[in-house]
Amino acid sequence: MSTILELRNVSKRFGGLRAVKEVSFTMDSGEILFVIGPNGAGKTTVFNLVSGFLHPEEGQILFRGEDITRSAPHVSARKGIGRTFQIVKPLPSLTVQQNVMLGCFMHTGHLHEAEDAASKILDFLQMSHLKDFEARGLPLAALKRLEIARALATKPKLILLDEVVSGLTTSEALALADLLLRLREWGVSVVGGVEHVMQVVMKIADRVVVLDYGAKIAEGKPADVVKDPAVIEAYLGAKYKEMAH
Amino acid sequence: MTALRGWRIFALLGVTAVFACLPLFLPNDYVLQVFFRIVLFAALGLAWNLVGGYAGQLSLGHVAYFGVGAYGMAMLYAHHVPLWLSVLFSALIATGFAAIIGSIVFRLRGPYFTLSTIAFAEVLRLSVTNLPAAGGAIGLSTPALFPPGAFWKMFYLSAVALAFVSFLVNAWTSRSRFGYYLMAIREDEDTAAAVGIDTANYKLRALMASAFLTALGGGLYGSAFQFIVPDSVLSGEISVQIAIITMLGGAGTLLGPVVGAVLLLAASELFKNKFQESHLLTYGILIVIVVLVLPEGIVGGLKQLFQRKTKPPASVAPLAATPAQGGD
Ligand SMILES: Nc1ncnc2c1ncn2[C@@H]1O[C@H](COP(=O)(O)OP(=O)(O)OP(=O)(O)O)[C@@H](O)[C@H]1O
Ligand SMILES: [Mg+2]
Repeated sequence: MSTILELRNVSKRFGGLRAVKEVSFTMDSGEILFVIGPNGAGKTTVFNLVSGFLHPEEGQILFRGEDITRSAPHVSARKGIGRTFQIVKPLPSLTVQQNVMLGCFMHTGHLHEAEDAASKILDFLQMSHLKDFEARGLPLAALKRLEIARALATKPKLILLDEVVSGLTTSEALALADLLLRLREWGVSVVGGVEHVMQVVMKIADRVVVLDYGAKIAEGKPADVVKDPAVIEAYLGAKYKEMAH
Repeated sequence: MTALRGWRIFALLGVTAVFACLPLFLPNDYVLQVFFRIVLFAALGLAWNLVGGYAGQLSLGHVAYFGVGAYGMAMLYAHHVPLWLSVLFSALIATGFAAIIGSIVFRLRGPYFTLSTIAFAEVLRLSVTNLPAAGGAIGLSTPALFPPGAFWKMFYLSAVALAFVSFLVNAWTSRSRFGYYLMAIREDEDTAAAVGIDTANYKLRALMASAFLTALGGGLYGSAFQFIVPDSVLSGEISVQIAIITMLGGAGTLLGPVVGAVLLLAASELFKNKFQESHLLTYGILIVIVVLVLPEGIVGGLKQLFQRKTKPPASVAPLAATPAQGGD
């Protein structure tokens, strides 16, 4: 299997805060990798770095062997990196279908072709019944699925899913996980980011990278990682702090 | 959609034909001149709509392109460029100017963008005021594009032609990938970038098309009134007028700028004789109305009323389990 994504000693700071510290990992194409870690661990920042919305001060990011460390977001998108936003960013006054069409336009300039392609993706995500509603006013669960639909519409080779299963009920999250597994059939590699929905991670992740305070503290198969003392400490530490409040 | 399109095109042809016939029946040049202004500002509103409506970038400096159209035409003609070519060239100069201004101002977002468009237009006005070659504060006389006999009739018809072309550009935009890209930029620039849209580039394209059409309007206006000064064709009031017309009628809609131009110019014409300077009051009141009660403008508001889909569901059907096929 070929490497699709590689991070080499990537660091990012916000003022005095080091949000990502010398993080390295590689990912094979076809793999489902989850970046997990407690609140504020740096998961979203890693996604922003990979998708070109932020650029690191140090380190290198390679996508299919090509250096994309300083790529602009739209350039990364066109190279095949799709992404969702943790804080959903729909196009509010456009309909659900039009939202998805905007992804489809990466591969066609024809409106009716984009409409057809968007319909297929909405079918896949079981949201065809919503296609004529404006995105504003839709419930969060629908907007999370819309994020995925729009990203898939660009036919990415790698899709970055930031907390798409958070805020869903357990059965919903598991059903969505089933859909994510099927992305392999589409030839899409997946990087998921979650804070605590471990059930989904255990079910579908091939591999897990654990971040804590911006640094990678563990990496491996989900079943092994959850037994790692450093990981347990990072999560429990955070939990105890929460309880103290 | 196709049915709607067919209907729209017939409506468009009908309306254009009626408007084009009006001058044959109008009693005098004064009324014709009022109609010229209305149609010209409809065209300017449609041109602005590409940037301010579809792309959602609130430019309050469009008078810069209008002024370049008027001044460029007068100055090129003075340097022996054929009359109509000087109109065309000045529009091209305005387009180049838009490319330069746009590459600077589009780095800014929201209110900073808007302020910078005002600043550029003001810099241009002050420069021209202090430039002897452009007539300074005294101004320039402009060449007449049409002979005295059918003067206002021809100007009126030219404005109709410009409005028609601007409308077609808008109609194409609203049904093309280009237009969808502009709307995505308006709705959320990050999302637009995430689906591969070069947002700076598309905003620039919209501005250049808009500047070209606006400058043609400036050329017509400058020639029609035979004399231009910075305070007429480079005044910030024109920028505001163009924006208000479009926002009142409905920014980002096809008919909005036309509806806005008719209402606003007819109103200020009616009140002008009663109270001087009252058009300023009219703008002030309309700005308040648009901001408070009609944020989507008249056409946008009506659309919401009539096309409103049943309310979206408060919750969505949960995903049905779909076991992975093949693969593992
Ligand atoms: N644009 C920014 N400016 C300043 N600080 C930021 C910015 N973005 C993130 N941070 C900080 O960087 C750290 C990492 O944030 P990040 O959003 O990457 O964490 P996360 O793992 O995604 O957390 P969560 O589980 O809450 O989504 C946090 O301390 C956060 O406050
Ligand atoms: Mg996050």
